[in-house]
Amino acid sequence: MTAMAQSNLEKQLNILDYALSSLWRRRLKSLSVLLVFAAVIFLLASFQMVTKALSDKAKQVLVHTPEITLQKMSVGRQEAIPLAYRDRLAGIFGIRRVVPRIWGYYFDEVRLANYTVMGMAVEEMPEGGRLDTALVGGKMPGPDGQGRVVIGQAIKKAMALEGRTTFSLFRPDLSLKPFEVSGEFSSDTDILTNDLIVMSLADARDLFAIPAGLVTDLCVYVANPQEIGTIAKKISEALPSVRVLTRPQIQKTYQVVFGWRSGFGSICLLTALAAFVILAWDKASGLSPEERREIAILKVLGWQTSDILVVRFWESVLVSGLACMVGMTAAYIHVVYFSASLFRPVLMGWSVLRPDLHLLPRLAAGDILLTLAFTVIPYLAATVIPAWRSATVPADSALGG
Amino acid sequence: MFLNPWSLALSLCSLVVLVLGVVAGRTAVRVLRFWEPGSDSNRQIRLENEIWLSSTLIAYGLGFQIITLILFVLAADEFCQVIVGAMCATGALLANPYGMPALLVKLVGVFFYGFWILIHQLDIRSEQYPLVRPKYLVLLLLLPLLLLDVTLQTLYIAGIKPDIITSCCAVVFSESNGATTNLLSGYSQQGLLLAFLGSMFGLAVLGVGLLRRWHPWLAGLYAAGWLWFFGLSLVVITTVISSYVYAMPYHKCPFCLLKPDYHYFGFALYGVLISATFFGASAAFAGLVRGRAGLAGVVARYQRLAVQLSLVLLVIFSGLSFYHYLKYLISGGEG
Amino acid sequence: MLIELSGVSKIYNQGRANEVRALSDIDLTVEQGSMVCLKGPSGSGKSTLLAIIGCIFPPTSGKAAIAERQLARLPDRFLTLHRRETIGFIFQRFNILPELTVLENITLPLLPLGVPPKERRQRAQELLARFAISHRAQFPAGQISGGELQRVAIARALINNQTIILADEPTAHLDTALSREFMEIMRQLKEAGKTIVIASHDPLVFEHPAIDRTVTIQDGRIHVS
Repeated sequence: MTAMAQSNLEKQLNILDYALSSLWRRRLKSLSVLLVFAAVIFLLASFQMVTKALSDKAKQVLVHTPEITLQKMSVGRQEAIPLAYRDRLAGIFGIRRVVPRIWGYYFDEVRLANYTVMGMAVEEMPEGGRLDTALVGGKMPGPDGQGRVVIGQAIKKAMALEGRTTFSLFRPDLSLKPFEVSGEFSSDTDILTNDLIVMSLADARDLFAIPAGLVTDLCVYVANPQEIGTIAKKISEALPSVRVLTRPQIQKTYQVVFGWRSGFGSICLLTALAAFVILAWDKASGLSPEERREIAILKVLGWQTSDILVVRFWESVLVSGLACMVGMTAAYIHVVYFSASLFRPVLMGWSVLRPDLHLLPRLAAGDILLTLAFTVIPYLAATVIPAWRSATVPADSALGG
Repeated sequence: MFLNPWSLALSLCSLVVLVLGVVAGRTAVRVLRFWEPGSDSNRQIRLENEIWLSSTLIAYGLGFQIITLILFVLAADEFCQVIVGAMCATGALLANPYGMPALLVKLVGVFFYGFWILIHQLDIRSEQYPLVRPKYLVLLLLLPLLLLDVTLQTLYIAGIKPDIITSCCAVVFSESNGATTNLLSGYSQQGLLLAFLGSMFGLAVLGVGLLRRWHPWLAGLYAAGWLWFFGLSLVVITTVISSYVYAMPYHKCPFCLLKPDYHYFGFALYGVLISATFFGASAAFAGLVRGRAGLAGVVARYQRLAVQLSLVLLVIFSGLSFYHYLKYLISGGEG
Repeated sequence: MLIELSGVSKIYNQGRANEVRALSDIDLTVEQGSMVCLKGPSGSGKSTLLAIIGCIFPPTSGKAAIAERQLARLPDRFLTLHRRETIGFIFQRFNILPELTVLENITLPLLPLGVPPKERRQRAQELLARFAISHRAQFPAGQISGGELQRVAIARALINNQTIILADEPTAHLDTALSREFMEIMRQLKEAGKTIVIASHDPLVFEHPAIDRTVTIQDGRIHVS
């Protein structure tokens, strides 16, 4: 039995050898298919790697957001929420802290860019002390404010603040409010902080002219993350007109958005795939007279139809395998060393200020399988029938030259 | 939730498998209508050629089906991140009533392809090709199976409702009380382990007995034993073995074993189990066609081989199943 | 009797408008160790008869036994299995694959048998030495001379120790000298115990003293002269 297994193995190796030589003899055709295939795999794999890297990064960064965020809704839109609501939450067990927040968008008419301005009571946040580690240098603004801010990298570039540490922004009544830069966010957190200006609550209230006693939202920090759902329910019972957002929900939403953006992009790339499959079918189907002769000769010499099918199978596997290696390596280089320059517009959104991301995709075997499912499987399927047609060339056509 | 790379990949692969299945089905119909062994007509020669097409399509089908099965479980794992209350693939598959049936149908598909390939390989070893008609009748069953597969899968994907932020004023969520993490409960671990060990021992005895002297009724018992053992193993893996692999007593999930975090242990475990069950059951199954012209010797040889393989795989499977359990017992805790 | 055909007929496209009766009622026996020539013009059915003897396809009716194997309506798979053990083919124009080396061409029949590379090389070297073309082993077959090609084709037909050699118009594109050389090699093979059937209408072949018997075929039937 093992002798049979061994001769079977030898046979497969022999046929593999022949398939290699066969591909080499038709190298122009093989190479053209290989290159187009590798290009398609490159596109799909880059896209997938970028999405994965971005959503991984988002997940990482979202870990530090508050467990529950409260926003007041009126006629379907967000309104300022009264600070007094904090008292109504006093009875709910499991809430660690309720921290107010004022934030909004500031439109800079000169540079035509939107900045996200966030006024936080940093000293009240449970992990507030650790926020300094997100900074490249300097420290977060304290409660006494006095115009000290921490800015993201894109803000620094937009305002050309090299060397300067002060700038001014307009209040709604067009009076100027001066600010001093006390720290910068490091580029690791770009995905959330790139266009962000963080200041004290008082400064933000002043800048946006928000009346006392109101804030934009309330951040609820919870002692036990398993309890988020229960506490959220209690809050929504205590404060009916308030929208209660939980961190898991935000994470899932990001995931879904990345998912469907990626899906959307994949669909576009599928047209490229479809074109390739048609090409593959076409190339595989065309049997030149020399190829027919070769197969007829092999058959007369004792090769079976099944043996020829195995040759074609190995040819397809070799082409796919090589295309995969080339395509995926190129995709990896594209994403890591060229920051996926081809795809960023699709995935990164509409803002003018785009982060300079350094993406490091984590490739699990499952992701590789996904790319293979999109590319190799349709290719193998497209080449089955042409392979069979070539394998059923009749032997007697080699006789009677 | 179709707009998602995993859903798209699954749908694409299903489409491919369906197309290949339809082509194979067409061959089946033609063969059943026009097959005339001994005739020298062009049509008969063409049909003999088409036999190679259908067997190749089924071989590819097997490969693709295995890949879709794996893809499906991995996709469920991805989906769990966007569904309320689902902590891993188990939760995602239970999110709507189509998940588990879809998985089971895919598993059945793998066995179906395997059995067909077996009949085909036996058939072509006899000069009379005695199994052509039964083979292609069975092939006709493939199409309904594939349609069922695709339908369940599509319904499942369509039924996934991702939990995204809505704009209403008060949000109501379902309480994630951990109910969906446990697939099966209410079985005593001790009882299951005893049944598990007992079945293994029983199968080993039956197998060795079969190798000594072949009785058709013994082979039938062996096959039945394997089918029982397959179901039992799935339960045992879920309720007992998995928690030892994860080193977490409340994480009883049969799918997380497949993740890289656990060194893809699940692939080895399930791969060996499915192969062993296939060989064990097919020994008796092959016996059904032993009487056909020219097949006696071929079938007898295969039956011996199948029993031998199934016994070897059984040993490997028992080693794999008990590895983490014993490691825990011996090193007394997280090792 | 190594080759026995009785009442063999072959009809192409049976039952259709373009039905062709290539062979009718052929009776033919060939003894082991003999060399037979099938003589007849092109279109006479020579190639078809050779294909049947060569286990390439079975007859439409009649009995054919090649090396003690009844061929009647075996599936192609089994024909091929039998063919590769028993029959060595030499084609018209030799039908060598020009891009493969001489060695690779000769060992082509051994690949699906699972013969490992070392053994393949060994067997090929033996034959190459026998035909004095060892120095051409690594040359692409498209670059060697006609005479050497001829010997490569013969070597390929012997690589699996086949007992029957079939040649289809082997001298059709050769000059006189090479044709004579070819027949000389055939004579040697016959003396070594091979059974040889050559289909040819070249007088250099059928008038060669080594030929034991000539069978004339015309319009698909055997003419006894």
